[in-house]
Amino acid sequence: MKKVLSVMATALLLVTFCGGMAAAKDFQVGFVYVSPIGDAGWSWAHDQGRKALDKMPGVKTSFVESVPEGQDAERVILNMARKGYRIIFATSYGYMDPMLKVAKKFPKTVFMHCSGFKTAKNMGNYFGRMYQARFLTGMVAGAMTKSNIIGYVAAFPIPEVIRGINAFALGVQSVNPKAQVRVVWTKTWYDPATEKEAAKSLLDVGADVLTQHQDSPATQEAAQEKGAYSIGYNSDMSKFAPKAHLVAAVWNWSPFYRYIVEQVEKGTWKAKAYWWGIDKGIVNISPMGPMVPQAVKDKVLAAKKDLISGKLKVFAGPVADQKGDTKIADGKVASDKELLGMTWFVKGVVGSTQ
Amino acid sequence: MDDLIFILAITLKSSIPVLLASLGEIITERSGILNLGVEGMMLVGALAGFVVGQQSGSLLLGFGGAMAAGMLLALVHAFFCIHLRASQVISGLAVTILATGLSSFLGRPFIGRVGIHLGSLPVGPLAEVPLVGPVLAQQNWLCLAALALVPLTAWALAGSWPGLSIRAVGEDPEAADAAGVPVAPIRYACTLFGGLLAGLGGAYLSLVYTPGWKEGMTGGQGWIAIAMVIFATWRPGRALLGALLFGGLTALQFYFQATGAELVPAWILRLLPYLLTVGILFLVTVLKRTRFGAAPAALGQPFFRG
Amino acid sequence: MAISLRIRKRQTPLKLQSGLVLAGALVLSLALSALLLKLQGKPAGQAMLVIFQGAFGSLWALEDSLIKAVPIFLCSLGVAVAFRLQIWNIGAEGQYALGAVGASWVALSFPSLPWYLLQPLMLAAASVTGGLWGLIPAVLKLRMRTNEIIVTLMLNYIAILFLDYLVYGPWKDPRSFGFPMTRQFDTAAVVSKIGESNLNWGILVCVAAGVIFWIFFRFTRYGYEIKAGGENIRAARYARIPYDYLVMLVMVLSGALAGWAGFLEVSATVNRLEPSIMVGYGYTAIVVAWLARLNPLFIGVASLLLAGLRVGVEQLQLDFQVPAAFGQIMEGLILLTVLAGGFFVNYRFYLGKKD
Repeated sequence: MKKVLSVMATALLLVTFCGGMAAAKDFQVGFVYVSPIGDAGWSWAHDQGRKALDKMPGVKTSFVESVPEGQDAERVILNMARKGYRIIFATSYGYMDPMLKVAKKFPKTVFMHCSGFKTAKNMGNYFGRMYQARFLTGMVAGAMTKSNIIGYVAAFPIPEVIRGINAFALGVQSVNPKAQVRVVWTKTWYDPATEKEAAKSLLDVGADVLTQHQDSPATQEAAQEKGAYSIGYNSDMSKFAPKAHLVAAVWNWSPFYRYIVEQVEKGTWKAKAYWWGIDKGIVNISPMGPMVPQAVKDKVLAAKKDLISGKLKVFAGPVADQKGDTKIADGKVASDKELLGMTWFVKGVVGSTQ
Repeated sequence: MDDLIFILAITLKSSIPVLLASLGEIITERSGILNLGVEGMMLVGALAGFVVGQQSGSLLLGFGGAMAAGMLLALVHAFFCIHLRASQVISGLAVTILATGLSSFLGRPFIGRVGIHLGSLPVGPLAEVPLVGPVLAQQNWLCLAALALVPLTAWALAGSWPGLSIRAVGEDPEAADAAGVPVAPIRYACTLFGGLLAGLGGAYLSLVYTPGWKEGMTGGQGWIAIAMVIFATWRPGRALLGALLFGGLTALQFYFQATGAELVPAWILRLLPYLLTVGILFLVTVLKRTRFGAAPAALGQPFFRG
Repeated sequence: MAISLRIRKRQTPLKLQSGLVLAGALVLSLALSALLLKLQGKPAGQAMLVIFQGAFGSLWALEDSLIKAVPIFLCSLGVAVAFRLQIWNIGAEGQYALGAVGASWVALSFPSLPWYLLQPLMLAAASVTGGLWGLIPAVLKLRMRTNEIIVTLMLNYIAILFLDYLVYGPWKDPRSFGFPMTRQFDTAAVVSKIGESNLNWGILVCVAAGVIFWIFFRFTRYGYEIKAGGENIRAARYARIPYDYLVMLVMVLSGALAGWAGFLEVSATVNRLEPSIMVGYGYTAIVVAWLARLNPLFIGVASLLLAGLRVGVEQLQLDFQVPAAFGQIMEGLILLTVLAGGFFVNYRFYLGKKD
């Protein structure tokens, strides 16, 4: 018995020692995900970015998945900080306050929080202007709809989702002012069966193009079965519905993650809000399907160019809400702060923000 | 009219997994075994169905694999409940926890792969029949098979020799044993049958309704199936009714949102299933004396001979 | 006439050896988990050490596991009170949610109170709301003879929907940029940390609750009657034990304890009410209560072990990139092996002649 114990103790020491060695040599980067990376959606997209970091020399990444927001998040982030991780990326809104708490205790570690608004001396936040890609996909939807009803399967009425719906609707209206966007809330980020039912109800009220702010491809499948069109989100979803898939609004986190690691390595990193747009490639649209006419493709790609150059702004006045009240005045462009706290729908969206 | 067809079609199509799983659970519980492992069995069934289907290219093999996987887990549960006389609640919970973990763990390489799936029924001239035709055209043969199972299980439980033995074992195993009914084999068979149907329900998701493998893709439907058994007071016919009602409420909730006509607020529709279940429970207990439907007397109790 | 293996129930379950059986079961489940890792090409032995190290291997790790164990312990203790009377309360999840709601209501309504008034008031409110949520199924059971398993399960869903309604609607912080959460509590409403550590004083609440639980069942009349009622309802009724009253009492106590867990979660760890506090502690509690055979000391140990396992698996993810689902697999295996071990404690084999 004694012998076993002493062997175990030695092994324990060895493990601790080796762990310490690795931490000293490598530039360790940690990721905290809210769902399993197997959801093929939000966390999966971030994990693609993480994998890109692994290819950088001297950088070693690791992640913890399915971390609930709240108590567990604080522990996971704290643990990474204790182990000497140089940068920690937390990829869900609810990680904001837990991360802030930990950041105060580890001034040398760089903390990056996704989709929030708080910063500290050593904590920045970041996000992508997905609404720009949404606008472009909206243009495709507006051009392809015949019934002038476009369905939007959405998860929760929070600003990020509402912003995407509004941008999408503005994109639709820029090519087809008569079309309306109908929103159905599923109140879940990820539940294929529920998402599909929601998608079907939209198809039934006459929608012939569907899009989604959900993590599963169920909406795409529903559209294909009914012979309607669909627009993907998170990643190119064309393999799930080749006949229906027009285009997708996609995340591409790799350039951003690489940039941050380089900045920290060089010592030029700043604790601020990084809100990258389509110009830096953090958001994009996937290649458009063969059913999209060339004229539409050209128009969308031209708009993309204008968005990149800054000539075109998505939330440029005049923009009215559902009741017709002016929310963004003529000649004005919504500020980032207004975008972050968006809780109203633009005119032409059918649905409630409750 | 079109709206009605739509709601009926989607209700029917989306309620099949819950229906299959709850039919299986009814048989299992009627024999006196409570199986809380349904959610896990559905998940493993969904994964097995997808993987076998994708690798072999055969739908039949896929469904077969799903049923086998469900039965395998049911065998574990049955062994613990019948031979080891373990707490059925804990054994079922353990099976669900283990199976949920295993399905995510083993299924990871298959995420995002495109497999095979079962298409809709070729209804031919039947499509012209009002109401029935268009609803039917959106279903598939597994859906019809599930519907056919309802009267089949009801008949089997009500009159036949196996049904009589199952009920005897579930109501009073000591008496059944004394009368020469093989208690343990019947309980094994019923639990395995429940696992088989739960696995098939899972495969319905991964091969028919939302083709492909996704982690946790059952989204708690196994638990709803267990609640459905009580809602249905252990009667297959009422399980169909309950499954349609639950499916219908969800369909309605989205339908109201999509049409923009909020006749009934969404939160009420979300609450209704749970309130209804409690309500039905009242009815059951108030009408208990008329044998409107009570739980099998020996449900959850291990049987020990000698 | 063949000789075969036969099974008989033991007159008295094994006492001393049961510890050995339990240890054997745990070792077996760990071995099976390690085997699974080995099959996936991961260093199995090292992985097991990493889990242990991550859970209890350092002061920090131990602290993390303790913090995580607090809500599990309180919910489990609550569930155990009801289980002792054979009342199957699986509604700890909903009672926990309502407790969090009650405590948050106080924190948001009386922000100007000093901490020594505010925090006891929050605790009291959590006890009342959690307790009431437990009382409903008890009353329904007594008056309408409804099955408490189903009612408590349904009430869980309803409680969570109610919590969602509050944070998406009337209680939403106007400065939260539309995210579903209440405003952050003032410091007076936050249970503070013990010295320099990360532990908060809630751990004291746990110890007190555990001791009171023990005293209650060991030395008070009600405690004795609950135990008697749980063992044999009919006999208890003959002995004029107020069964109906006891059912309500245990459900209220049960709900209140889960409510305390909800209070500590919103006050000490999250500092506000938000939907993410619902992570299934109420269901874990049932498993823990059963593993610990409803004994308060064992509940403490089992909560800590389970919390440690979950914390340790995070370490495993970091070091070996094993999916989070591996933790569930281990939990499932542990439950099954312990379940199987229970068989050897309660039954014995002997060779008998087949007739």
